[in-house]
Amino acid sequence: MRFSQQRGFGFTVFLILAAELVCLHLAYARQMPRLSCLTGWALLGVILLLALYNGRKKLPFLPLLSSEEWLQFHIYAALLTGVLFAVHVSYKIPAGWFQGVLAWLYLLVMASGFFGLFLSRAIPKRLTTRGGEVLFERIPAIRRQFQERAEQLALQSVGESKSGTIADFYLRELKPFFSGPRNCSRHWSEDGGPVNRILAKISDVKRYLNEQERATLEEIAVLVRQKDGLDYHYAQQLLLKAWLFVHIPLTYSLLLFTAVHIVLVFAFSGGVR
Amino acid sequence: MPNPPPSIDRPQRWDAALDPKMSDATVERLLSTAPFSRMKTENFPGRLPLRDILKNDTRVHACRRGEIVMREGDYGTSAFLVLSGMVRVVLGQGLPAAMLGRRLFHRKNIFKLVAQLWAFQKEPESISVRDLSKDLSASTHDAHGEEVRICLQDVPRILDKHKTALIEGGEFFGEIAALSRMPRTASVFAESEESELLEIRWQGLRDLMKYDKELSRHIDQIYRERALAAALRRIPIFQRLSEETLKKVMAATEFGTYGDYDWSGEYKRLFQSGGPRPQEPVIAEEGDYPNGVLLIQSGFARLSQKFGHGHRTLNYLGAGQIYGLQEIAHNWRKPQSPVSLQYTLRVMGYTHVLKIPTGVMESLVLPEMAPRDLPALLSTAEDRPAAPSPAVDAAEKVGADMLEFLTENRFFNGTATMMIDLDRCTRCDDCVRACAAAHDGNPRFLRHGPISGRLMVANACMHCVDPVCMIGCPTGAIHRYAFGGQVVINPSTCIGCKACFHNCPYEAIRMVEIRDADGDILADQEAQPILKATKCDLCVEQITGPACQQACPHGALARVNLHGLEAFATWLKR
Repeated sequence: MRFSQQRGFGFTVFLILAAELVCLHLAYARQMPRLSCLTGWALLGVILLLALYNGRKKLPFLPLLSSEEWLQFHIYAALLTGVLFAVHVSYKIPAGWFQGVLAWLYLLVMASGFFGLFLSRAIPKRLTTRGGEVLFERIPAIRRQFQERAEQLALQSVGESKSGTIADFYLRELKPFFSGPRNCSRHWSEDGGPVNRILAKISDVKRYLNEQERATLEEIAVLVRQKDGLDYHYAQQLLLKAWLFVHIPLTYSLLLFTAVHIVLVFAFSGGVR
Repeated sequence: MPNPPPSIDRPQRWDAALDPKMSDATVERLLSTAPFSRMKTENFPGRLPLRDILKNDTRVHACRRGEIVMREGDYGTSAFLVLSGMVRVVLGQGLPAAMLGRRLFHRKNIFKLVAQLWAFQKEPESISVRDLSKDLSASTHDAHGEEVRICLQDVPRILDKHKTALIEGGEFFGEIAALSRMPRTASVFAESEESELLEIRWQGLRDLMKYDKELSRHIDQIYRERALAAALRRIPIFQRLSEETLKKVMAATEFGTYGDYDWSGEYKRLFQSGGPRPQEPVIAEEGDYPNGVLLIQSGFARLSQKFGHGHRTLNYLGAGQIYGLQEIAHNWRKPQSPVSLQYTLRVMGYTHVLKIPTGVMESLVLPEMAPRDLPALLSTAEDRPAAPSPAVDAAEKVGADMLEFLTENRFFNGTATMMIDLDRCTRCDDCVRACAAAHDGNPRFLRHGPISGRLMVANACMHCVDPVCMIGCPTGAIHRYAFGGQVVINPSTCIGCKACFHNCPYEAIRMVEIRDADGDILADQEAQPILKATKCDLCVEQITGPACQQACPHGALARVNLHGLEAFATWLKR
């Protein structure tokens, strides 16, 4: 199935179910005072199914449908929980502090999930366009290679030209740049300003160099561009990995609060009778 | 003054003889034995004397009863001549995989699948000593510290259970697979207590056939008798022919082999050095008279057409595909406006072809074809080649850049190439983790490899149509899985010789140090680590199929058959 067909199918099913839910709620809200219990249990059931996806990932060898199918379900079922949640809370954020925290937790889980989906669709294209594909785990080693090469060139220039201009420039302007990942937030916003400023400084300092030093500095400039590309991959891949560290802990918190919420509901309202 | 560049002796063909210990006395003995005693030494050129071919391209094997000489399904580079004693060829249903030193893969049941959850908490690539020798029906031995061969343990029972045929002194076997690069079609084992066989590597056999017409006729006759009819019958245009007509076609069929049998090593070396790609010899050239239909039997060929000052790749042809039929059919139907060959056909690595001459096609084959099966007429309006049809021009399906990429890197060899759509891949490594989970915690591929546009071909075994990795495996440890055709390795019989590792041009095989259950590296008596080859087995033991593909959340990874581009084009346009 094409991705567009997949999307079309998912949205259609979601819209039908969402419309039915809203209609049912409108029709029965007044007649069934305990309807919120029903919607609550339904919401919990769907959220538990969504949470199971993480477990499915740990069992790739079991015939439990493909991860792609699970993700499709995860996305559209998550959308449906939005409708269930709205119906459950009667379209308003609860006033009590516990219920309020629970509602905000749900909204944060939902928001982080859709932010993650946006990242998952947007960042791979950015990385492909930028090129220089690199494994995330290899980035520190490659960064170290760039740093060592740049330092070697800077030191070499002292011996070759009997001048410390490049070495001084390296220590002053480039050492911090090469020593670790830089400009993450700027890379997230596709802002090439920082590297352009470094390259401009390199261009400035060239006028004080002889031919041999210029060639050395040109090599360093190439390393700067490569390191910037590496930082770009680091920043983007970090974002792709990091959002899950928000989404999953929030999900567990939500499940924990939900469990307490159920206990409270049963303790103080007598539960479903 | 700069130092002159270091110089070395130019490598020569016989720098590495098949058997460095081949003695002059043995060569003399061979020269006095048929068929070599009947060969005229004066027919051989000075640079390739018969004596030197025998000395460098052959070796004598003394085989014990039950010793397996060749295994069904293996890719062998040599033919054999029985010098003394007898061997048996197993006909019909072949020997069980376990007897041939192969591993029997069974799909895991649900309990074993679940058990993988805790069972893979072992050291990387660990194996117990018992597992190393668990193949009870086959044994490896190292008689003289040189060679590892597999012996059948119970020959009388095999003779009872299987239909076999005797091959006696003076007869050849294994020549078809050696010359045409097709897998061995049967297993052969030594019947006599002491048999003596002459192994002739394919280069030597090729030269012997070239300069001794009698041997050439003999081998051709064997080929025609044993394999040609079946090969032609597999091709639709010959399926309507009567037995009698087919015999006439077979009699007129010519054979041709092009390129380098061991292309993978040279290709890999040039590829790694970043140098130019190897030359691709021309089989047939655009603009030439079409003097025959070419049927690709094995290997691959590039189909291209002149474009500007270069050539544009249109497609690649593999086993079973035909070249030149459209032109010959056109000329037969419209003799008043003949056309020349429309495309150029070049060897990619190694190609074995059958050629049916134009006269035979026109008199015997084309008249028997139904009009609807005849290829379309070519446009002859202008004095230039006709535009390729969509069926020929694969660039229409996948794009010219992608086609060049697949062809340059020879990825068309893959039947389960791991393709990653980088526009959808979130680099989450779920595929790698799934692979590790399905293989005792050891992933069998790297999510890394050549990239073209938004597609990456990862360094994972592609389960090639032409698995060059299997050439030269001394124990048959690397072989095709009998049911699915996947290329798999039996760790029990892998001796860590690295032949497959060096042969694979796609860097899909890794040599790993094996550990025991405690994590200690296993070593031999000389304290050298025990190595085993590992690679993707396409999860033959898992009921879900390839775990990597199952685990990709974004549909970015697929195992694609590139032998034919339909599936790939569909996936590409998802």
